[in-house]
Amino acid sequence: MTKALDSAAAGRWVSLETSAEGATLRLAGDWRLPSLATLGHALQTARSVRPIVGIDGQALTALDTAGALVMLRHLQSLAVDPTAIAFDNFSPVHRRVVEVVLSRLHEITVDPVRHRRGIVAEIGFQTESLGHLLLGHLNFLGYVAGGIGSLLGHPWRLRTQELAAQFEQVGIRAIPVVALVTFLIGVVFAYLLGLQAARYGANIFVVDGVAIGMAREFAPILVAVIIAGRSGAAFTAQLGTMKLTEETDAIRVLGLSPMDVLILPRVFALVVALPLLVFVGDVMSNLGAMAMAAAMLDITPATYLERLSVALSMRHLWVGLAKAPVFALFIAVIGIRMGMTVSRDTRAIGASTTSTVVQGIVSVILLDALFAVVFQALEI
Amino acid sequence: MNASSSVIEVSGVVTRFGSQTVHDGVSFTVGRGELVGLIGGSGTGKSVLLREIIGLDRPTEGSIRVLGTDIWKASAAELAAVRRRFGVMFQDGALFSSLDVAHNVAVPLLEHTRLAKDAIWPLVNLRIAQAGLPPEAGAKMPSELSGGMRKRAAIARALALEPEVIFLDEPTSGLDPITARAFDKLMRFLVDDLNITVFLVTHDLDTLLTVVDRLIVLARGKVVGDGPVREIVDLDDPWVRSYFSIRTMAATESGSERHGT
Repeated sequence: MTKALDSAAAGRWVSLETSAEGATLRLAGDWRLPSLATLGHALQTARSVRPIVGIDGQALTALDTAGALVMLRHLQSLAVDPTAIAFDNFSPVHRRVVEVVLSRLHEITVDPVRHRRGIVAEIGFQTESLGHLLLGHLNFLGYVAGGIGSLLGHPWRLRTQELAAQFEQVGIRAIPVVALVTFLIGVVFAYLLGLQAARYGANIFVVDGVAIGMAREFAPILVAVIIAGRSGAAFTAQLGTMKLTEETDAIRVLGLSPMDVLILPRVFALVVALPLLVFVGDVMSNLGAMAMAAAMLDITPATYLERLSVALSMRHLWVGLAKAPVFALFIAVIGIRMGMTVSRDTRAIGASTTSTVVQGIVSVILLDALFAVVFQALEI
Repeated sequence: MNASSSVIEVSGVVTRFGSQTVHDGVSFTVGRGELVGLIGGSGTGKSVLLREIIGLDRPTEGSIRVLGTDIWKASAAELAAVRRRFGVMFQDGALFSSLDVAHNVAVPLLEHTRLAKDAIWPLVNLRIAQAGLPPEAGAKMPSELSGGMRKRAAIARALALEPEVIFLDEPTSGLDPITARAFDKLMRFLVDDLNITVFLVTHDLDTLLTVVDRLIVLARGKVVGDGPVREIVDLDDPWVRSYFSIRTMAATESGSERHGT
């Protein structure tokens, strides 16, 4: 009557017994997660012409829900209704496991389909979200302008303490890194110009190049990029965390305005601090160049300063310093808005902070190009 | 290893942070198929003890065995092997925020088994169903879930490898009473139907009084009570007495209020 249909390997797990009513699957061994793949194969080999009417669990040493699931899904794949099957000789524990899985079986669907966008759709989608982002920034810029306007009407609402604290953070504490970077750039810049100038015996013009170049373009850009990475990112991270912990909501509920408490102090602090940091950059880069000029081009510091007073007209200095507050406004607005709009999800803060830095740097460079065109047209 | 041997064995655990002693010789054992609750006032080091049991924080002294493995003497390979045999649900779920629920549940299966993809997804769906989540929850991101659903998803992930023990940290905190009671049922189901040992840290008195088999009370750095809930309630310990008296008072008050209306 009983005949082992298959190889010994499969027979270790499943054997088939046929009688007049139909086939009975005899399960044996450890039907647990670690051997799940083997179990699937064993079931495949235990095929029968007659319909399966019963499952025997006498020889089972262990059964977990994963094992029961494989067995029941096998029945389903053979178009056998698992609820109409007789489960014989199962221990109470194993029977319970089968019942648990059986009761959930109808809820188990196939792998949820995942949508993947095509490249064209992806470009469209990203363009739309970029448009949304920029419109949102513009909107927020207007909101901040409104806040400034309302503050002008009630100047006593200015949070001087918060402003001072922010100024210390974004301005004073940024001096060392700004000074170091611009000093080194001054050294490099002087070296680079010096290589060329020395060939024509035009050593002294290195002073003109460094002073004008740094004051007009490089100091503002460099410092703004450093600050976009340093303070812009900090704004997003701080405000994003405050949003996640509902601190911004608490501020609102306590009758305070996030505009007065959080936004304006940061904007003002950065707008004031950045031009000052650019000036630090102007000074430090010339010091760097002075050191390089003395070592490489035989220009004494006294000669350097003398030439500097001739070469660098105040016009150039003002052009550079005038750009700084505009850069600062954009960096602050981007950093703050990205922080205030993070979704309630810890991963979002990281993503927003990264995005802030990228947006900040790109906007600084775009603005600088815009300034170049405008100054060119105005012949400044 | 026989089935009746204890699943968790904590003996003489001492934990010090600087000069502050949190645990001063904590010992207890948990047997297979038990649903055990650990309670204690804030600052008594319940969560620290849980973290020591699951191998995250090292106790200053003492030994901890889980499923026969000494957690703090085991080699990295032994520790990894025993970790595959227990599941942990952290207080707020600790789901991976970059993965949807189905992939969160699939992580242990993908990492620790050699199953084919088409064998994994039905199993993932079973775990999601076992945790009491609707099938469509699998495609959701953790940020789209409510607190209760996040906890269920975390249970589904903890169940993924069919563990022998599950550790739950404050499983019902932050849930509404209805969801919390459904969670109690789920815990009972794990023990009764799947024969899993459940060890939980909780303050939910309803959980303690209705589903927990045994309570372990931590106070003043030691285990001051260990036994069935009925016995613990009558324990002569100042903290236990005030703990349960406040809760019973609140319960009777709200009960009499209900009678009045």
